Amino acid sequence: MQRIRFATASCLLAGALWCGCNKTEPGGAPDGAGGAAAERRLTIGVSFEILQTEFWVAALEAFRAELGRRNMLIIEAIADGDANRQIEQVRNFITRKVDGIVMVPKDAKACLPIIKAANAANIPIVLFNRPPDKSDARSVAVVADNFALTRDTVTYMIGEAKKTGTTHKAMLLIGDLGDINAIGRRDGFDAAVNENPGVLDVVARVPTEWNQEKAQAGVVNALQANPDISFIFTSSDFLLPSIVSALTGAGKYKKAGEPGHVILGGFDGDATAYRMLAEGYLDATGVQDVYFEVAACVRAIVDARAGTPAPETIKDPGFVIHRANREKMAPRMWGANVTQ
Amino acid sequence: MAAVADSHRRARTPLLRVLRSEYFVLLLSAAYCAACAPFTPDFATGGNIANVLATLLPLFVAALGQTVVLITGGIDLSAMSIVALASIAGAAVMSGEQGLLAGSPSAVPAALLAMALVGAAAGALNGVAIACLRLPPFIVTLTSMMFFSGLAIALTQSRNIGALPAAFNALGGSTWLTLAIAIVAGAGVHVMLARSLWGRWLYAVGHNPRVARVSGVPVPGVVIGAYVASGVLAAAASVLYTGQAESGSPVLAQRLLLDIICATVIGGASLFGGRGGVLGTLFGALFLKLIDNSLNLMGRSHFSIMMVKGAVILGAAVLDMARSRLEEK
Repeated sequence: MQRIRFATASCLLAGALWCGCNKTEPGGAPDGAGGAAAERRLTIGVSFEILQTEFWVAALEAFRAELGRRNMLIIEAIADGDANRQIEQVRNFITRKVDGIVMVPKDAKACLPIIKAANAANIPIVLFNRPPDKSDARSVAVVADNFALTRDTVTYMIGEAKKTGTTHKAMLLIGDLGDINAIGRRDGFDAAVNENPGVLDVVARVPTEWNQEKAQAGVVNALQANPDISFIFTSSDFLLPSIVSALTGAGKYKKAGEPGHVILGGFDGDATAYRMLAEGYLDATGVQDVYFEVAACVRAIVDARAGTPAPETIKDPGFVIHRANREKMAPRMWGANVTQ
Repeated sequence: MAAVADSHRRARTPLLRVLRSEYFVLLLSAAYCAACAPFTPDFATGGNIANVLATLLPLFVAALGQTVVLITGGIDLSAMSIVALASIAGAAVMSGEQGLLAGSPSAVPAALLAMALVGAAAGALNGVAIACLRLPPFIVTLTSMMFFSGLAIALTQSRNIGALPAAFNALGGSTWLTLAIAIVAGAGVHVMLARSLWGRWLYAVGHNPRVARVSGVPVPGVVIGAYVASGVLAAAASVLYTGQAESGSPVLAQRLLLDIICATVIGGASLFGGRGGVLGTLFGALFLKLIDNSLNLMGRSHFSIMMVKGAVILGAAVLDMARSRLEEK
């Protein structure tokens, strides 16, 4: 009896394995020309690496809105920070014969097999916010200029520091260095510091791995070791609450213009940053133009399906928002819109 | 009275048989497929089965190591860190851009050897700390997880290593080759567990280490061996995951630990030790991947998938407890 059961189970498994291993290559794009296809609503698979921060949540919301506006359907998948899981999820999109894929890749290299699979299935694929490595795989990347935007933001902050006439001890909160955006922001910070010698003495580089608890512990430790830190830049605004908590504990959370104010800046342009900017605690933040990036992604898919190739990289220049231009720039800041 | 007890026993027997059967999870998977297929677009297609297989097999290989460790009553929380460490070790040897043996015909075999050695060494460290220093497996593997992860990130400065040879990428990218590796790993572990003295020792240690020691089982050696096996199997899984992603990554598969433990426990391995097997682990991994795949195809949100998986893990733990109690009776 045991052997019969084992044999049955083996047959079931073998059948499944045979079907799986003899998979046919994914076919082309599902619709051909023709009236029925033209009326069919397009389905776009949107795969995010993670939904950890307000930025990604706002971006996903923006995709829902943009695709809804264009009368397209959306299938969502979140890879929970795992490149292999993302490969699996995008393969599922291909199985479902979606009309286009938007992906926030876990990293620049591991996304290449995904892009190749989409290429093989003749499905347009656009990378949102993170570019792939150089390869023969065909995709469009819509990315913020992390380096330039960070450099511009930090340069503005250094300008504020120069006004005090003293050298400032500085702290940098670094993101997950497996994320190319984090590397770009770190390099942008370093470039701004090097272009303005003598203004900052960078005494602390806090590795956060995009984790608020690690960020808070790192900032607390850095403030204990260097109580006179007076300049902080965070590679993402979502770490601002950790910084606020640590600064409050150290009695250093002051508005601009108050004695002991720590010059504070960030990147992303989230709702917390907007509120802190409005209240006078934050000096500047580099804003990624989410709406521009989302619209560019969807347009690139539509163009690709129409046979009009988009450029390999579409850059979102973003903008620096600070107290002086806050009212003018707020309508373009996604965090301000979330707040409203 | 005896008649009543007998009728209770008879009533309980089919349930017992089903619950204790190695094929229970396979039946569950089949039932799940039957229930999902009508409502899940493209679920029962060859392409989708290939997708399930491509993700099931590396998970199965990684879960094999966890099975061996769970049988001894331990746990290996560092498995995915070993996967990542082995990934960058192998990539550092064979990468066409910066590999030690870039372009050499021996690059891939050398990289595979390096990965296996890294896995074995990391497993041996865990095993020695647990068996010789008598430290709890949870603490040892938790700290080694942090150490190995940190080491992998420090060695690479968090940068992935790409340009891996196509022959290596095929090991994870070709379903046939992945299947072959998984079969070899599964068969090897099955033979070790079911047909060797070492396998019997593993179960004996898991049931009761004190009794095993008194009975002449070399408990420290068995425990160290279990963790070495776990490390080597993590390295084998790393080969598949790295080949799939076509790059060595210091954070490779870092979020899969829960899936591994879940697959192993669903498959019948006991968190209390002394029970587990290859077939059960395969079925556990299959069930988990079917849930993942079907919910993904249905377009369910990440949060609902997490909730369902959490519920499945809880269900598996409850089932594990129920099985233990039924066996005690």
